[in-house]
Amino acid sequence: MKNKDKLKLFLVDDDIVFLKSLEIQFLQHGDFEIETYVTGELCIAALDHEPDVIILDYHLDGIDKKAMNGIETLDIIKESRSHIPVIMLSSQDKIEVAVSCMLHDAFDYIVKSETSFVRIQKDLATLVKLHKMEKELKWYMDKSSFLSH
Amino acid sequence: MTYKIAKTQAVYYYLAILIIIALGIIFYYNSKKVITSGNHVTHTYAVMDKNQELLLDVMSFETACRGYLLTGNPSFITSYRKSLAQVEQNIVILLNLTKDNPNQYKRVEELQHLITNRIKISEKLIEAKSKEPQNSKEQYLFLQLSTAKTEAIRESVKAINAEEFMLLKVRKSENTFSSDINKIVLFSLFAGVFLLLLFIYFVFRNHTIINEASKAHSYAMQLASKYSLSLIEASRDPLFTISPEGIITDANQASVQVTEVPREKLIGSHFTTYFTESEKAKEGYEEVFSKGFVSDYPLTIKDGILTQVLFNGSVYKDDNNTVIGAVVVARDITEQKRIEDELIKAKQIAEEAAIKAEKATNVAVEAVKSKQQFLSNMSHEIRTPMNAIIGFTKVVLKTELTAKQKEYLMAIKMSGDAMIVLINDILDLAKVDAGRMSFEKTPFKLNLSIAAMLHLFETKVQEKNLALLTEYDERIPEVLVGDPVRLHQIILNLISNSVKFTNKGSITLAVKLLKEDDKKASIKFSVIDTGIGIKKSKMSSIFDNFQQATSSTSRLFGGTGLGLAIVKQLVEAQDGTITVESTIDVGSTFSFVLDFSKTSAQAVVEPEMVPLNTDIKDTKILVVEDMELNQLLMKTLLDDFGFECEIAANGKLAVEKLQTTSYDIILMDLQMPEMNGFEATTYIRETLKLSVPIIALTADVTTVDVARCKEVGMNDYISKPVDERLLYSKLIGLIKKPILIIEHEVGTPTATDTIRYVDMSYLNKLTQSNTKLIREMITAYLVQTPPLVTTMRKSYNSKDWTLLKSTVHKMIPSFSIVGISDEYTKMAKQVQVYADALEHAPDLEEMIKSLESVCNHSCVELQNELNAMNDEK
Repeated sequence: MKNKDKLKLFLVDDDIVFLKSLEIQFLQHGDFEIETYVTGELCIAALDHEPDVIILDYHLDGIDKKAMNGIETLDIIKESRSHIPVIMLSSQDKIEVAVSCMLHDAFDYIVKSETSFVRIQKDLATLVKLHKMEKELKWYMDKSSFLSH
Repeated sequence: MTYKIAKTQAVYYYLAILIIIALGIIFYYNSKKVITSGNHVTHTYAVMDKNQELLLDVMSFETACRGYLLTGNPSFITSYRKSLAQVEQNIVILLNLTKDNPNQYKRVEELQHLITNRIKISEKLIEAKSKEPQNSKEQYLFLQLSTAKTEAIRESVKAINAEEFMLLKVRKSENTFSSDINKIVLFSLFAGVFLLLLFIYFVFRNHTIINEASKAHSYAMQLASKYSLSLIEASRDPLFTISPEGIITDANQASVQVTEVPREKLIGSHFTTYFTESEKAKEGYEEVFSKGFVSDYPLTIKDGILTQVLFNGSVYKDDNNTVIGAVVVARDITEQKRIEDELIKAKQIAEEAAIKAEKATNVAVEAVKSKQQFLSNMSHEIRTPMNAIIGFTKVVLKTELTAKQKEYLMAIKMSGDAMIVLINDILDLAKVDAGRMSFEKTPFKLNLSIAAMLHLFETKVQEKNLALLTEYDERIPEVLVGDPVRLHQIILNLISNSVKFTNKGSITLAVKLLKEDDKKASIKFSVIDTGIGIKKSKMSSIFDNFQQATSSTSRLFGGTGLGLAIVKQLVEAQDGTITVESTIDVGSTFSFVLDFSKTSAQAVVEPEMVPLNTDIKDTKILVVEDMELNQLLMKTLLDDFGFECEIAANGKLAVEKLQTTSYDIILMDLQMPEMNGFEATTYIRETLKLSVPIIALTADVTTVDVARCKEVGMNDYISKPVDERLLYSKLIGLIKKPILIIEHEVGTPTATDTIRYVDMSYLNKLTQSNTKLIREMITAYLVQTPPLVTTMRKSYNSKDWTLLKSTVHKMIPSFSIVGISDEYTKMAKQVQVYADALEHAPDLEEMIKSLESVCNHSCVELQNELNAMNDEK
């Protein structure tokens, strides 16, 4: 994450109604910079916009069988930009889905529902906190390595 | 006044002198008169003398004549001649003397004539004798005649004398009168002089007094004028007098200082020259002379720094009321202005400070909020792993262990418990602080509730060999309305506090009815122990956060020090009061008073009066939880409490179990595969028509979740990781609570009988009624849905189950967004299930049709909405 005032979010979902509703909620409940993509391909193409967090639908190939699915997209993102946290979204309330997402290095797995926005928000807060802690830890580590020399 | 007195005095002065002069003159003339009348008297005397002398002479010359005649002796003739000369001499004198009195003078002339005649007779006789010495006859005749003549003379002298005597008389009286007057006048004169002298004396004396007085007066005046002068000089305001022409006639030191012009030059110069606006200054002093005064007339003195002044003046007059000048004070208001400016500045600063303070307060409030948020987040974060640690410690403790292992594990468990207590306390405190602690108002039986709670302490009390006593006031109404869970929390905290600090003796819980009316009952709860007591100095602070009676207490006895703080917060949040009494080494008594509403006992279904223990043991609880870890924990906990417990891994399994077995309470996880908590509850309430109490287990409590829990018909919720005590309280509460008074709305199917398929309420809520956003959402839906419907139909027809599944899958989220009834969501999910199973169900056709229909209808309705919004615009 970069030190900017606004978090830049990528919302990726082929369900444009849900995508829109999520975007609206983000815009209304916080100061975010939002970019929305309806396919994984579009999202990957836009990675050089340097998003802070990507929220990715698990089922990107629901209709278009040839489209890249969520896990594939996640893999590609992690290959080139491993530092970007990805939160996976799915309407499926299944352990296997969750486990596979986590195995592919997703930050979290959230089931689509009316409350998913709240959960994403919490995740974002945790992310920020985590980032801060990591920075602090790094600072201490640097200091201790400096001291031990 | 003095002047008048002097004037009248002078008049008297002149008058007195005039009187004296007049008296003098009168005296003078009177004296003269006296002298004159005296002279007259003397003159009269002289006339009478000479008269007498004359008469004698006449006699003597007659005698001599006669002697000669008789004797013829010649010596008689000599004496005769002598007397004759005398007569003649005297008659002349007499004539002289009577010159001023014509009457007398005439008489004297007659006398002279008589005498002359007589002398002639005598002469003839003598001649005759000498010639005829014996002619006696003739002689006789002559003698006869001469005697007659002498008699006449005598008569004449007599007459003269008589006249003189009369004159003398008159003159004498005249003289007496005059000298009398003179005497009076003289006396008056003396008196006058005396009076004058007296008057002069008094005048002089008076004058001296006046003089002294005036001297004193003038001294006082001098002092006063010196005093005023010093006052004037002391004045830091320029003070000067001006003539009607505007010339400065006098000035004080301050004027000199301000104008920086020496006094000599200042006096005689024109007043207006010292001000920046001389025209205005002129108007100013003209105003003084026209109105008689001027007040607070603003001017600026032309000095180095342009002193701003307020000009005040008033005229002064002489005795004749003629204006002869004006006294003018120019008050320097630089200081005043400076103070005014400073005041304004200070005000501004104060305002800024107020704004800053407000900001700071806001920041502080925010900081406190975020601190609380942080605390509760942190507690939450810590609680999760702690629960696992404790849970698994408990699980391990149930296996076969060596004594050492058991000891170590017990230590881990106890430390973990302590930590969980601390975290829960922090969470509770944060909640109370943030005002998020809400209190229920539910009817409950106080005596049963207390008995159940005390049951929790039995083991601990037995361990420490203490007695746990209860004194319960039987007058307390059986059923009260309040928050039994929070009441438990309060009493639990107090009793565990007492247990901690009591090593021998007893702990007593006394419950007493203080007062009761139609609506309310005040109840006093006291926890009395025989423990170590609290020092007086610590009494006031024991209810503060993180306070224990002594700082070493925590080392000895453990505990977070938050328990009493929470108790206090909980009691006060319910408008109660808490007090403490304590004696060192004797014990402490914590008492609190709470008001409970009364309720009609008839409305409450009597709970079973069987003893609590059997009650609990007979309670069957179904735990619906997919995570094995949590399943294990819940089972351990409930076993500990003494409940019977069964596990279902998901909603679907739970529903299956409920169809065959009945349970007293269901603990339902919300996030589960297959069938989640909401779905399972809806199914239990609506399909199975069961009213068994359901407590939701939620990972994170969001208001949305809570609302949804209520909506689907759950009775309560508890957040994970589960707080042992809270869970126990809630379970007890539900067991004791007659089902009839559970407040919840049983979800009733509402959407099916509505004509409309679409409900805009969620969209409105989502977008906060922002029409632009609503339009965007509807447009998105209208774009997405028709192709999905087409694909669904196609895939169904071509039996492409995978495509059907994912198509329907994609439909589901938008259903809830546009407010399509839950029924269709379920239907879509059912389609998914069938598609997943790759089987053709008989009612699949129907469902696909229904979904098509609802999607098409919703599109039409939303298109209408969109048109309506566009029209409005």
